[in-house]
Amino acid sequence: MEMVLISGLQQGLIYGFMALGVLLTFCLLGFPDLTVEGTFPLGAATTATAVMEGFDPIPAVLLGAMAGALAGAATGLMHTKLKVNNILAGILTTSGIYTVMLWAMGRPNISLLNKEDFFTQVLALCGITSGELSLRAMQISIILILFLMVAAARLLLGWFLRTDLGLTIRAAGNNEKMLSALGVDVNQTKLLTLILANFLVGLSGALECQLQGFADVGLGIGVLVAAIASVILGIMLFGRRSLSWLLTGVILGSILYRGLLALGLWLKLPAENFKLVTAVLVLIVLTLPNISVFNKKAAPRSNADALAQQGPIN
Amino acid sequence: MIKLNNVSKVFFPHTPNEVLALNNINLHIKPGDFITVIGSNGAGKTTLLKVISGAETVNEGRLTLAGKDITACPEHERAADIGRIDQNPLAGTAAEMTIEENLALAFLRGKKRGLGQAVNESRRQCFRQALAETRLGLEKRLQAPVGTLSGGQRQALALVMATLALPKLLLLDEHTAALDPQAARQIMALTAHLVQTKNLTTVMITHNMEHALRFGNRLIMMHRGRIILDLAGEEKAQLTVPQLIEKFSAASGEDFADDRVLLETVHQNNVVA
Repeated sequence: MEMVLISGLQQGLIYGFMALGVLLTFCLLGFPDLTVEGTFPLGAATTATAVMEGFDPIPAVLLGAMAGALAGAATGLMHTKLKVNNILAGILTTSGIYTVMLWAMGRPNISLLNKEDFFTQVLALCGITSGELSLRAMQISIILILFLMVAAARLLLGWFLRTDLGLTIRAAGNNEKMLSALGVDVNQTKLLTLILANFLVGLSGALECQLQGFADVGLGIGVLVAAIASVILGIMLFGRRSLSWLLTGVILGSILYRGLLALGLWLKLPAENFKLVTAVLVLIVLTLPNISVFNKKAAPRSNADALAQQGPIN
Repeated sequence: MIKLNNVSKVFFPHTPNEVLALNNINLHIKPGDFITVIGSNGAGKTTLLKVISGAETVNEGRLTLAGKDITACPEHERAADIGRIDQNPLAGTAAEMTIEENLALAFLRGKKRGLGQAVNESRRQCFRQALAETRLGLEKRLQAPVGTLSGGQRQALALVMATLALPKLLLLDEHTAALDPQAARQIMALTAHLVQTKNLTTVMITHNMEHALRFGNRLIMMHRGRIILDLAGEEKAQLTVPQLIEKFSAASGEDFADDRVLLETVHQNNVVA
């Protein structure tokens, strides 16, 4: 049971970065960015390759995140400059990433056995030798490190989305034409959001690679639907009362989702069913009225609702 | 201030559905002008405003704003100088953002947006002041999501957003048409108030002939992509609705064909009788 908790927290926090990224594109910008399926393994592959090339784990993880940002930029430029459909742009990037990963790694997967990992290096920077820690203490240290990183990302994002520049992201998802009429180049806003979101997804992949000690070109299969499930869980349970709740909620949703997966494994449920179960659950939730979070245009508040709430107009 | 020279706009060119929406338009909007635009269905009124704001590109002709050629400028580059409001109250505001966030977006119209806080106390002060002019009590609801407002309230907010940063030109596209009569009256009164106090150069499309005559210093009538009548000053001030319809028939060789305009005209005549 303890392993369920540890694994749920570690995985949940790592995938929390991805949930934040998916929240940015899918929910706030209203851009169904499929690049995520490629960005996640790209982050892992870049980090693994960098470590094999002799980079320290911390800069290697940073490189992984930046590779993600580049992939986001590729999708963004395809969509804004070449006018490629948003979903297709993501698919094209993802497909291209597959080859890029094979080039970089030289083979479909890399094991980082016996290499110093990111968490060990962070602990070393704090003056802690991880060799002296018990396995349990090490697991908890990893959770602490991840928690501080996710919390920092959450706070930074919360601040950014309330700045003049950040506000344009939410406005672009709400009413693109209005934003353009107010003097904002909406294409730039989209590009910026995609870069930012895929940076977070790349970081997620990079950290996963460091935790698991390997990178694989197939790491991205199904991560998007899992991220969407996490985001939905977060929004359902913690609501969209405010931007702060939304941001914190999707991270908690991610932890909960990964916790449930870990619980399922512990209960020896057949793991091969998980992705189908997730897909079906996401489908059910999306078709439930009033919870639909990825379809904002279909659920505007009607005037009658507004009247009932606010009393007589004028 | 803004000049249109031989501007033409064709939709669906080289297809059976080809429409010549603007046919060689020449128009000079002078600083301080408040122009009302009327015309039959499909006359090209909305296209005219879209071409000026940059939402549509032109096929032929040139546009200059304060001497600068803006023909090739995209909409977001013209936005610093041009504010626009659409007929649809949902079009001018962002529903899921709060009133103050919407205003913060409008506050920096056409300016560079950086990493400063979008809503701070000094900006709030400014927002409250601007909203107070609407007399709808919106200044007390800065944190309300815009989706909870009525159509009239949203259109009032859109008006405040369009005028907050003092654009050189304000474009209104039948901005009261989708509202109930009472809200429409309020929005028209607010429009007149803002245009006057902020001394805004304005172009307003309306299907209400009485509004077209009552507001503004200049009246333009459009038909089939052309400006067929352009009256200003005393000549406009003296005009009545029946005379206007007569002038339309004389200039276009057709009866005025906009059922909404006719209905309202009949209604007004009944009220007078």
